[in-house]
Amino acid sequence: MFCTKCGTENQDNSWKCMKCGGVLQHVPVSGTEKEGNIPNYLVQSILCTLCCCVPFGIVAIIFAAQVNSKLASGDIEAAKGYSRKARMWCWISFALGLLSGIIYLAIQLFSAAQGNRAAP
Amino acid sequence: MVKSVKYIKFIAFFALAGLAAALLFLFDPAQIRALPLCPFRALTGLDCPGCGALRASHQILHGNLAAAFRLNPLVILFLPFLGYYLFRYCFAALSGKPYTEAVVRPVFIWMLLAVIILFWALRNTPLYPFFCPVNP
Repeated sequence: MFCTKCGTENQDNSWKCMKCGGVLQHVPVSGTEKEGNIPNYLVQSILCTLCCCVPFGIVAIIFAAQVNSKLASGDIEAAKGYSRKARMWCWISFALGLLSGIIYLAIQLFSAAQGNRAAP
Repeated sequence: MVKSVKYIKFIAFFALAGLAAALLFLFDPAQIRALPLCPFRALTGLDCPGCGALRASHQILHGNLAAAFRLNPLVILFLPFLGYYLFRYCFAALSGKPYTEAVVRPVFIWMLLAVIILFWALRNTPLYPFFCPVNP
């Protein structure tokens, strides 16, 4: 099991962390608690950066990197927080990309319609 | 119940991706005038790291990797990684195991970010092969 304070892996039957000496709490580890199960949304944020043309995808990549930094230092709670932020910025980037695309298309259609009316 | 929801998601994902790929295969975005210009470019007049990504994807689907590289080198660079993540996703969905994120050392993500930002800067210079060709 992992120490909740420093993230060091200890033997399952030990009650004290061998690194920081903190008391280990024997809570059943759910699927999301494990290191690999905290998504960093790296792929999504790269796709948002490349496809949505909004620099907010970059923000999502920064948070994705923070997730892995925090996981590496064993701070699971902080990693979860950054994971949520990465997901949020992916959605913001995606929504803004979609919205600006729709607005742009609307402007083009509008100006095309105006052009048709103005033409003799 | 949860498992069937996962399968539906999996099938929906592939149906959408397949539809998008089919459309992208049939229509070359470089030829469609009505397609909206990237909003970042429309506002600032600058190229962003994603400029040419859609046109590059069209070229990749037709097997023209060199043409795709010319349009957007980053897409070609990310292709193996995307393939790897897609494989992981498929494996997790088909084997019934929960999807686990690939453990990547943070330094690689920071390097990736540096590459993207450097590429962004270089795109806006006339340096070959970074600048994005405009539509003919």
